[in-house]
Amino acid sequence: MDFDLSKAQKLLQQSSRDFFVRECKPERVRELMATETAYDESLWRAIADQGWTGLIIPEEYGGLGLGLVDLVAVVEEMGRACLPGPFLSTLWAAALIERAGSEGQRKQYLEPISAGDLKATVALLEEEADWNPAAVTMRAEKDGKTFKLRGRKEYVTDAAVADVIICVARDNDGLVFLPVEKGARGVKITPMSGLDQTRKLYSVDFDDVAIQEADALAFTTKPQDAFEAATDIANVAICAEMVGLMQWTLDATVDYAKTRQQFGRSIGIYQAVQHQCADMYLMTESARSAAYYAAWTVSENDPAAKLAVSVAKSYCSDGAREVGNRGVQVHGGIGFTWEHNIHLYYKRAKSSEIMFGDANYHREKVASKVIDEAD
Amino acid sequence: MKIIVCLKQVPKNDSVLRINEQGTWIQDRDLTYEINESDAYGLEAALQLKEKHGGEVIALSLGPARVQSVIKEALARGADRGIHLEDTAFDNLDAYGIGTAIAAATKAEGFDLLLTGLQSDDYGFAQTGVIAAELLGLPHTTIVMDVELNDAGLRVKRELENGFFQWVNMPAPAVLTIQSGINTLRYATLKGIMAAKKKEIKKLDAATLGIDAASLAPRMEFRRIYLPQKNKQTQFIEGSAGDIAAKLIDKLKNEARVF
Repeated sequence: MDFDLSKAQKLLQQSSRDFFVRECKPERVRELMATETAYDESLWRAIADQGWTGLIIPEEYGGLGLGLVDLVAVVEEMGRACLPGPFLSTLWAAALIERAGSEGQRKQYLEPISAGDLKATVALLEEEADWNPAAVTMRAEKDGKTFKLRGRKEYVTDAAVADVIICVARDNDGLVFLPVEKGARGVKITPMSGLDQTRKLYSVDFDDVAIQEADALAFTTKPQDAFEAATDIANVAICAEMVGLMQWTLDATVDYAKTRQQFGRSIGIYQAVQHQCADMYLMTESARSAAYYAAWTVSENDPAAKLAVSVAKSYCSDGAREVGNRGVQVHGGIGFTWEHNIHLYYKRAKSSEIMFGDANYHREKVASKVIDEAD
Repeated sequence: MKIIVCLKQVPKNDSVLRINEQGTWIQDRDLTYEINESDAYGLEAALQLKEKHGGEVIALSLGPARVQSVIKEALARGADRGIHLEDTAFDNLDAYGIGTAIAAATKAEGFDLLLTGLQSDDYGFAQTGVIAAELLGLPHTTIVMDVELNDAGLRVKRELENGFFQWVNMPAPAVLTIQSGINTLRYATLKGIMAAKKKEIKKLDAATLGIDAASLAPRMEFRRIYLPQKNKQTQFIEGSAGDIAAKLIDKLKNEARVF
């Protein structure tokens, strides 16, 4: 059995690595994180020109209809570059639109997303910051043929640059997904402070925001299933991104251990340092295997997909944080400085650790699948 | 305009190089490969000419099965089709042998412009394009920085020394060896990678090209190669401040050659 990437996937991976090395250097990441939105129109345009915004969107909606393994090959390189911007947010929103939207809504949103002309995000979390959609309390009150949204969503990624925010709310029948266009009356977007300045967070207040019932993404009788399927895709993507972060941290750390001299010798000659690097390698490779396996299972609609996604996210959440910890440790004093780039990756690892549910959240899902469903 | 671009697959420039057991070349079993740098600029120049004037770009590479990856990358970047020269008779050729095979393949194909990189990143002979041109009986220009098409043929900018350039008018068909850094390389886009799967790669061997394998026998051999020895030494310069400055300048200029 061949577990390797295909030649086309390897070319895609190499091409995306070359792209980010040139187009998203650490200096650019630092410039962007100092801005209010961490968004660069020219970089976004270049990413869209590569075809990556439509990578997994079906061909009938202007995408390329490729699988998740192709996606993770690219997203891993985005992680390696610590790419700022709304790629992940837009991917999550697109996956939700594809699963919950009508044919007309798919055309309306997915075609411009594929072309890079529309950026989107999903507003899920509320004050409790619970990633379980069952915890959503925000009401979408029906007023004739209109939904009225009132309340606050927190930790919404890239809300300030999104052309449309898919708000997850609840009506009398259950979850509803309401697309709120940029500049809609009654919407207030406020930056939130976050650890990772390369991925901006916002609170979004909805003050009687009116959305036509016909505009709701309601082309499904099982909105929670649609939401979970879309979030599985986002989870796979963030796992791949974390693998890229881990690989960068590992490479930088090993390089440092080989060149940093102490007592006349490279610090990498000492076993205490070697063991750290070996553990980092083990965690990076295991995370990669888990992420790629999850991508494959979701792509193939394998029955083990949900389990594989939660295994991958729980492992990557712990692994990315731990690789970051050890990377900073091996770097010693320089690892604590603003000038060294390792803190960019460590902070991204910390923010990604909890995004879409932390390790404990996913381990509970694993336990639920393995134990509860077996009973 | 029909343009053939020769692409050599070379070890990646960040490869860890180890000398083989015979001491005659580097171990190739642990290496990863990429398109030779100046060849990549040749490909980009060809694609830009095609976008401006129309026509066809053909990517040609010589070597074992692994070199197909550079052809595929060229197809993904926008080349229209590929030619792969593969034969055991093509193993371990010198510049003359490679030039002979390229000349035979490109003559059979026909072209308006044949582009090669200025030199390869591994051997660095800077001979292949020139030899192919001579064997084809075509005009050639080396160290090319810019290519323009006109009614008479080509107007080509060459790099000379000390920042000087030379513009050369020449007829087509012709062979040009391209300097690195003359344009901005494009990436293989996702659409390009998808499209490349359907593009033709024609395989040609020595017999098909009518080449007698004996004629390819290398005229040059590597007896022994060496890794550069790293060392550092400290020298104390003594004398008056003026003497020290003069001696330091002399050493920096003539020994360290830093300016």
